[in-house]
Amino acid sequence: MLRVRGLTMQYPDGKLALADFDLSIAAGELVVVLGGNGSGKTTLLRCIARMLSPTAGEIWLNDTNLAALSGERLRQARLPLAMIWQHASLVRRRRVLSNVASGALGRHGGLWTALGGLPSVERRAAYDHLNAVGLAALAGQRAGTLSGGQAQRVAIARALAQRPQVMLADEPVGSLDPEAADDIMRLLRHLATHERLAVLCVLHQVDLAYAYADRVAGIRNGKIAFDRPCEELPRDAVRQLYLSEAA
Amino acid sequence: MNPDPAAPQLAERSWTVALSLALRLVLALVLVGIVLQAAIVVRARPQDLITGAYGMADIIRRAMPPDFGKIDMVWWPALETIDLAIFGTLGGVILALPLAVLAAVNVSPSRWLYYTARGVIGFARAVPDLVWALLFVTAVGLGPFPGALALSVHSIGMLGRLFAETIEHMEMAPIDALTLTGAQRLQIFSHGIIPSILPSLLGIALYRFDENIRSSLVLGFVGAGGIGFELLSAMSLFQYQFVSLLLIVTFVMVIAAERLSALLRARLE
Repeated sequence: MLRVRGLTMQYPDGKLALADFDLSIAAGELVVVLGGNGSGKTTLLRCIARMLSPTAGEIWLNDTNLAALSGERLRQARLPLAMIWQHASLVRRRRVLSNVASGALGRHGGLWTALGGLPSVERRAAYDHLNAVGLAALAGQRAGTLSGGQAQRVAIARALAQRPQVMLADEPVGSLDPEAADDIMRLLRHLATHERLAVLCVLHQVDLAYAYADRVAGIRNGKIAFDRPCEELPRDAVRQLYLSEAA
Repeated sequence: MNPDPAAPQLAERSWTVALSLALRLVLALVLVGIVLQAAIVVRARPQDLITGAYGMADIIRRAMPPDFGKIDMVWWPALETIDLAIFGTLGGVILALPLAVLAAVNVSPSRWLYYTARGVIGFARAVPDLVWALLFVTAVGLGPFPGALALSVHSIGMLGRLFAETIEHMEMAPIDALTLTGAQRLQIFSHGIIPSILPSLLGIALYRFDENIRSSLVLGFVGAGGIGFELLSAMSLFQYQFVSLLLIVTFVMVIAAERLSALLRARLE
């Protein structure tokens, strides 16, 4: 589904954020990336989503190397790849339903959507996605009035409106209380297991990683430190990731 | 006897104080010089104010009481003035919005378009609305239409700059999120940028409407219609009582537009 080969990212200031990074993730899998601050986790997701252009390496989404594309071809090829962030990044003044339906814009050209309209079929689908994340009752509410946990659920619903095969999540629970964080991780787990999405999630919460992930990839100084199923991963190995950061 | 160890420091401090005083004196002299040269260049003659006071008093005496009998002649030019401002503001918003997107550094598609859009906005602002009106009167003839066109083009200057600044200060995360869903540029503009900044845009447009009401009065002086044109005609014909009526209507219009604009902007906030 998603394969990253030899991914290297060096910033213009010379900082090497990723070095020869390999990772693959299959449909139905939830892989958590753990690592200290500045270890390259967010850079990894941004490179995969092609918000950054990697210095070297390949990003295979099914049979397409995203790293080799740009412009309109990249936009088209990236459609099966959705992303959510620590903050929900909703358009606060728009209704929840419109925010969710806007996830489908990539599939619709034409004047109507260019002028701010949304196809009625996507509005109906958006309602179903909101239902899937348990927030159908808030469809008519402005996004700016939602709590952090609700907003993150709406962001996931918007990502679902994109009909993705891969979901990237950059610290999706970073600003949520433990209960809301658990809800979001449960939802991502559900999407991986039942919707067969490949979910790649950056986290700081080790316990959540053990509770919900199939595999955990550790990243240190831009390089992969380990990539193992949770049940084969000793807590000490994870602790080492953060100890080396402190050292 | 030992010399006072603080003496060199005290001497240095007195030099600093003297230098600071001298600098202030020079600065004051330069300011006085600037004011004097300005008075000379504009040929300011205070005595003319005293001798001209009689003339002013005479005009005020002849303008009283206002000729309310001619109020029926004022409605149409007043409506023209308001419509000039409405058309000018709407035209300005429609022209300024796409330019502002190109002129906002965070969303502009290219540096070349950014500088071009900034140039157009700057030029529209640099040329006074009166000059635009003269140009459009020459191009399309007398009447309110050239005035409306002049206000539209001149409004681009202020609206374009403020719209662009609003876009530059907006939260970019929702725009990045929409970009990653595969939305295209126009879709991002209409689904992301516009809804995020709509209250600010409306507030700026209302403020410009208030400005345009005042500008449209002056544009009448160069034949661009509205109440200004009536004012010029009445003054040319020495109909001072009609002039005072027109000034009262103008005052009411300007205050009403200002209050309405402020009220709506307060509601938007």
